[in-house]
Amino acid sequence: MLARTRTISYAKYGYLFSIPFVLTFLIFHLYPMIYTVVIGFTDLRGIGRTEINFLENPFENFRLIFNNATFRRAMNNTFLIWIMNFIPQMLVALLLTAWFTNRNLTVRGQGMFKVLFYMPNIITAATIAILFQSLFGYPKGPINDVFLTFGWIESPLNFHLQHWTARGVVAFIQFWMWYGHTMIILIAGVLGINPTLFEAAEIDGATATQIFFRITLPRLKTIVLYTLVTSMIGGMQMFDIPRMFLWGGPDNATLTATLFIYNQAFSGSYLYNRAAAASILLFLIIAVLSSILFFVMRDRGAEKLKRKQRQLKRSEKAARKGVVL
Amino acid sequence: MKEQSMTVSRNITKTVIYVLCIFLAVLSIFPFWVMFMNATRGTFEIQQHSVGLLPSTHLIDNMRILMGKTFDPLIGFKNSMLVSTGATFGAVYFSSLTGYALVAYSWKLRQPFFTFIMAVLMIPAQISGIGFYQFMYQINWVNSLWPLILPAVATPAMVFFMRQYLIATLSLDIVDSARIDGAGEFYTFNRIILPIMKPAMATQAIFTFVFHWNNLFIPLILLTDRSKYTMPIMVSLLRGDIYRTEYGSVYLGLSLTVLPLFIVYFMLSKYIIAGVALGALKE
Amino acid sequence: MKRKLSFMVLILLVCSMSVTLFAGGAREEAPKVLNVWSFTDEVPNMLEKYKELNPDFDYEINTTIIATTEGAYQPALDQALAGRGSNAPDIFTAESAFVLKYTQGDAAHFAAPYKDLGIDVDRLLDEAEIAQYTVDIGTNDAGNLVGLGYQATGGAFIYRRSIAKDVWGTDDPAEVRDIVGPGWDKFFDAAEDLREQGYGIISGDGDIWHAIEGSSEKGWIVDGKLYIDPDREEFLDIAMLLKEEDYHNDTRDWTDAWFADMQDAGSKPVFGFFGPAWLINYVMAGNSGDTYGDWAVCEPPVGFFWGGTWVLANKNSPHLEVVGDIIEWITLDSSETGLQYHWANGTLWGPGGTKDTVASGAVMRKSDGTLDFLGGQDMFDVFVPAGAYATGRNKNQYDESINTYWRDQVREYTAGNKSRAQAIADFKQQVADNLDIPID
Repeated sequence: MLARTRTISYAKYGYLFSIPFVLTFLIFHLYPMIYTVVIGFTDLRGIGRTEINFLENPFENFRLIFNNATFRRAMNNTFLIWIMNFIPQMLVALLLTAWFTNRNLTVRGQGMFKVLFYMPNIITAATIAILFQSLFGYPKGPINDVFLTFGWIESPLNFHLQHWTARGVVAFIQFWMWYGHTMIILIAGVLGINPTLFEAAEIDGATATQIFFRITLPRLKTIVLYTLVTSMIGGMQMFDIPRMFLWGGPDNATLTATLFIYNQAFSGSYLYNRAAAASILLFLIIAVLSSILFFVMRDRGAEKLKRKQRQLKRSEKAARKGVVL
Repeated sequence: MKEQSMTVSRNITKTVIYVLCIFLAVLSIFPFWVMFMNATRGTFEIQQHSVGLLPSTHLIDNMRILMGKTFDPLIGFKNSMLVSTGATFGAVYFSSLTGYALVAYSWKLRQPFFTFIMAVLMIPAQISGIGFYQFMYQINWVNSLWPLILPAVATPAMVFFMRQYLIATLSLDIVDSARIDGAGEFYTFNRIILPIMKPAMATQAIFTFVFHWNNLFIPLILLTDRSKYTMPIMVSLLRGDIYRTEYGSVYLGLSLTVLPLFIVYFMLSKYIIAGVALGALKE
Repeated sequence: MKRKLSFMVLILLVCSMSVTLFAGGAREEAPKVLNVWSFTDEVPNMLEKYKELNPDFDYEINTTIIATTEGAYQPALDQALAGRGSNAPDIFTAESAFVLKYTQGDAAHFAAPYKDLGIDVDRLLDEAEIAQYTVDIGTNDAGNLVGLGYQATGGAFIYRRSIAKDVWGTDDPAEVRDIVGPGWDKFFDAAEDLREQGYGIISGDGDIWHAIEGSSEKGWIVDGKLYIDPDREEFLDIAMLLKEEDYHNDTRDWTDAWFADMQDAGSKPVFGFFGPAWLINYVMAGNSGDTYGDWAVCEPPVGFFWGGTWVLANKNSPHLEVVGDIIEWITLDSSETGLQYHWANGTLWGPGGTKDTVASGAVMRKSDGTLDFLGGQDMFDVFVPAGAYATGRNKNQYDESINTYWRDQVREYTAGNKSRAQAIADFKQQVADNLDIPID
């Protein structure tokens, strides 16, 4: 009984310490969000407008966006480019994680490699886009120069006009900028696994491959899910690279959903209401995709998860005891 | 015999690992190298061959052209520093605080609050983008660095990360013994918990600092006063001289933008090397 | 349920509080400061000169320069105009690609009529002999003049003397004019001659586009609907012909390869470029390398204009009178101390500066356009009459976006990625989807 009252007396700090986060969130994130949602139901377009009216058919903007061929194209591209970058990104990051955390293979220079692999992430998107634009330049550019010198092609190729090359380059840049980041998160996850598990496996004579697939990977599942979801959210919002690289071209091949939204709002007609409606649609799509991911990943390991939850409860209980003691 | 073949296969594996790692490392260095080299090359040279691997002699010319324009690296550096350090500090400190609240205290709304954060994590930034601009203009908060700093205080992804880290590393005994010594809760957090969280804070600080340092679009729309420009805005303006692009000086400007990042990055890189242990996620 | 409700109420309370709280922070107008917004440093530099000429001018000038290349100038300017705070522009400039938005389009309500600035518009227009197209573009729907340019941007064909001599045995502008024009048929005959000798007639299809765009009878929008002028549609075929017959280096304007062609660094030497006087001085002269001095200008096969900067005043500015004085000096003063005289003769900062054609015919008559770049030719002989072809009637506020969509599709067609009909269909789709402009 005494313990209980003391627990409650500390609970107020839980609220207190969350106040800055909650306040900032409400003002700078939630309010603008509500604002955007409201705009999606109005006739707000053009600049310097002060009076705004709700539409007679509240879902008019959504209907128009939904039937907008360019929007559907943009959604398709976004998804394609994300898949094209995420699969190799995850594979490479997992491979590097397996190597760097393998206790038998002490890879020398690991620290340097880790620092270098993360490095592409610190350069501005604009710089990378300019650089790749010149690399694939037409009719003169380093890649064309190389291809011509080796006689692989007869006349320079206009890479910027080929849909798949353009998408491929955007996907490659995304992959290259983020695999180091993903690797660091995954390594953090591996370091959190109880080392006695590995020791036990080694004593039992398990090979490195077995250890990785039987012990490391299953325990990384939640971290993988986390990277999957954050990468998906980031991928669906891809903006800088496609915009700086070819402005969504050629022929809309690298036009992403957020680029489409930007164009609605700023390319000439100031269709703020439709941009807002498109944002909300994008959000709904992301929410649905995330739930699917959570569902798929959860379903397979339901048993284990339950066991883990029981474990968590036990440890939480222990922790609480720790507080009151 | 068996041992020997194992050594051989291990050597092969190691070779593959080193080849791939060196390849990826070169890929990482390459653009930086080209950028620094191009900063020393003349516009004409760059137009002839946009990717050069050797330095040239135009560094001083490029510097002169750069200074002759509206480019003022000192102002850009100061503003970018203010925004990036302010936002990084806000995000890291308050995310740690919120994460701590989620781990160390049991309060009624703890679980709903955590679920709420997870849900918020899924909301794309774009959805609030349009509303955010309109809001900032309404309250006349343009040409101020605050709208670039304050929103960072609420960074759900980092709260999540900090919570996971604390679950993996924090022993509540420490908190308790502090209480017995009569320390206030806030004091305990600042003096005892924060030092424990240093590795997690450093990694997250790198992520956040880089993000804010490179952020272009929101500053571009909100900051219109030249004395408030951040580095990326200035660089984008260099490219924007519609009549003639002085490529050499553009690359020099880009290089100058990256240098401070390099310093911050390498200062904190030991935490990247050491790695942060993150408890397996339980949600 | 009840808890949820109170939570929502709390949120709404916080939201409304935050608005009122921060709104109080809006400052009042600071005195004696002029905010000037532009997309290049030209107008801000002019104001430095204005200060020098008027020692008793005691306003502080606060300039904002945002380049158009990132697409950021217009959104930022629009927000600043709408915001009306102390940062609102007093003077702002607009480029030909989007000036109509600010004179006749969605943002026209911000522009102050020149006569409200205390400018004697009719008398000065007459006296300075301002090119009619800059007046047309700068006149709003109510018939009031709200913006004028200081440049005249009638275009010419700028060609290499040595190549003309090599192919046709002459570099005389009068003779070359009759070889490359008038009309596209003669132009392509000339292209054939050039190709036989291993030259390209132009660098890429973008060069010819500005001539076609500027000379077409109607613009992209007629009666509120998308309209493809036959001249503009023909650009598809011209671009295809250029590519198939190998008449150019297939570059894209404003890219490295395009600049390289100005100094013979492309895959084959290029004979000429289409452009107004500013292209010579601001782009070609700096990029020409060893070909400097080997150029000349002649009348183009079709007349056109390209580019130009219009100067406007914000009608909410508290300093309308001062703004009027400055704008008059820039756009309508045809005396030898007016901006345009300095601008034409390159004497804004002492002799030897960059020369340019200006909007005032009166100024042009007393100016000298001799250039070393052109081997001593007086460029005004060609550019001044070229101004007569310029028209503002085929423009609209969406030009920048629509031109981009159109040229992308033309590029798709010439690259062989899609059929002509498909390119047109996709172009229409783009316009409808992004700009909400009705198509047929």
